[in-house]
Amino acid sequence: MAEDVVAPLAGKVLSIAVAVGDAVEEDDEVLVLEAMKMETVVYAPSDGTVTALRVAVGDQVEEDDPLVTIGE
Amino acid sequence: MKPYFETMDRFGKSLKPGRVKRAAAGAEALRAVEADIAAAARAVEEAGFPAEKINQRGWMTVYQRLEYLLDPGTWRPLRTLYNPAENEEGVTNVVDGLGKIEGRWAVVIGFDNKVMAGAWLPGQSENILRATDLARRLNVPLVWLVHCSGAKLPEQEQFYANRRGAGTPFFRHAELEQAGIPVLAGIYGTNPAGGGYQSVSPTILLAHKDANMAVGGVGIVSGMAPKGGFDAAMVEELIAKTRAFTARPPGDVATHHDATGFFTRVYDEETGVLDGLKEYMRAIPAYGPEFFRAAEPKDPAFPVDDLYHLLPANQKEVYDFDEVLARLVDGSERLEFRPDYGPEVFTGVCKVDGRLVGCIGNRQGYLGKGYPDYGDYPGMGGKLYRQGLVKMNEFVTLCGRDRLPVVWFQDTSGIDVGERAEKAEVLGLGQSLIYSIQQTGVPMMLVVLRKGTAAAHYVMGGPTANRHNAFTLGTPATEIEVMHGETAAVATYARRAAKEHAAGRPLDPVIERMNALVDRYHETSRPAYCARHGFVDEVVALTDLRRYLQAFTGAAYQNPVSICPRHHMLLPRVIRG
Repeated sequence: MAEDVVAPLAGKVLSIAVAVGDAVEEDDEVLVLEAMKMETVVYAPSDGTVTALRVAVGDQVEEDDPLVTIGE
Repeated sequence: MKPYFETMDRFGKSLKPGRVKRAAAGAEALRAVEADIAAAARAVEEAGFPAEKINQRGWMTVYQRLEYLLDPGTWRPLRTLYNPAENEEGVTNVVDGLGKIEGRWAVVIGFDNKVMAGAWLPGQSENILRATDLARRLNVPLVWLVHCSGAKLPEQEQFYANRRGAGTPFFRHAELEQAGIPVLAGIYGTNPAGGGYQSVSPTILLAHKDANMAVGGVGIVSGMAPKGGFDAAMVEELIAKTRAFTARPPGDVATHHDATGFFTRVYDEETGVLDGLKEYMRAIPAYGPEFFRAAEPKDPAFPVDDLYHLLPANQKEVYDFDEVLARLVDGSERLEFRPDYGPEVFTGVCKVDGRLVGCIGNRQGYLGKGYPDYGDYPGMGGKLYRQGLVKMNEFVTLCGRDRLPVVWFQDTSGIDVGERAEKAEVLGLGQSLIYSIQQTGVPMMLVVLRKGTAAAHYVMGGPTANRHNAFTLGTPATEIEVMHGETAAVATYARRAAKEHAAGRPLDPVIERMNALVDRYHETSRPAYCARHGFVDEVVALTDLRRYLQAFTGAAYQNPVSICPRHHMLLPRVIRG
């Protein structure tokens, strides 16, 4: 089952730590959002494989926008 | 009270390899700052004459005296780099900190006899007053190693006079004595004038056989006939008088032991004086550990080295404060106060060496949808909102009621701003927190983990809480300033930039000034500057933080001025319901 990792708040994508095909474990860093002058790390909600990157570095995202898709 | 204190709630989790790898550069940056601070501390220790030269004169250095006096492994230096007047000697010329002597905590302070035979220097009075304040906050003895040649005369205008000048510590000694706190002094060498009062103002005076103390020394006695200037004949007369006086300086042991009896005891050996101090320390009131331990001491459940991978060197990076705390307190256990309210701060009861302490710290990161409840903007940890301020007010009030010492951990960018925040009373609640702290009457310490900014640095148990803050520690990530440098540059130069632009003039000069201000903020807010200027009392390696917590709690519970029996405490019942 695929799961979208969504933006917890509006911000700019500062860096992406994973690529399509990467295996991730729960709590692994997925990407970093810059918002409210702070860098917020977004973590993987579960174990899986990255099946899609929905954003690129520099993108402005809104709250709940999908960032990365993780599949089994 | 077993259900409350012996089995608290476990928290924290082991570091994942990915986190260690990700934080490797940050950890290296933190360790590099620690190495710089350690190098600066070594330079302070090596100030003045080399130890060998002092030993050749038959003296021990102040550091050798401390080593002999203190229980091994218990020294927690404070104000090592403190030098607010930027003295060319690199020191204020006193060495102080918390240490155990014969198993009992004391504030220990000594003149550095390698530097101008322990002279008064600019900044020293404030350093001493911080040590006397610390003894008062913790209700523990103040132990002096006096070896003070008096004022550095060419710079007297910087420290002799004034409200908090070189004479103020003598009044503080009297205050401590009136509060029942003894001031013990080991006295060495020549102590004229100010040195005389440094020697005579403590409670118990233990002197080395070659020590003296006097209202005035040889130099003053010889030169007491001012004529508006000097000529060669007068200087020759002075030389003759000085030689005559050097045979026996005033106020030696024959005078102040045999005649006046001011010296309580006199010892032939330097170490004898220190043995005497140990003997008196054995006689001070101090409760055994069984009195106030709520549980058996435990190490934290996770390695302290993890801190280098948890506390980011990058000031913008979000991290988990709870994981930091889990590396510092007994068993990584806590009783959290109001976990569902005011998510931007942790408040809770923890244990250090089995003794109860209230802990408060800023949480970091996005606070979730709908918070703050009065705003339509996202809340970020590090900032304080209405609920967090209310929660801290409640918590410190209950800590005061239950007589729990408080440890604050700051990493704060300030209190929320804007009209909605004002209507939510954040300004008033910040001052309420100051009021709440002020009525507790319990000792507090502060660790500025990373940012100490804006009024939040004051209200969260900052060093500005003079009557409660025992001491403040910095870390290699500490940054203390009224606001971030870039924010300050905008506030200072935005209008100017607009005017220049409207006038069609080049913006480069404004940009240059803005960047210069940012650089200045950076330079004056970082750990070494904070330590030199007393914004923090010591910059501590992350691996040493728990040792200072142990010293603070151990000293705070050694002879507390008031007690709340554990079974009468309210806070644990409020937490557990």
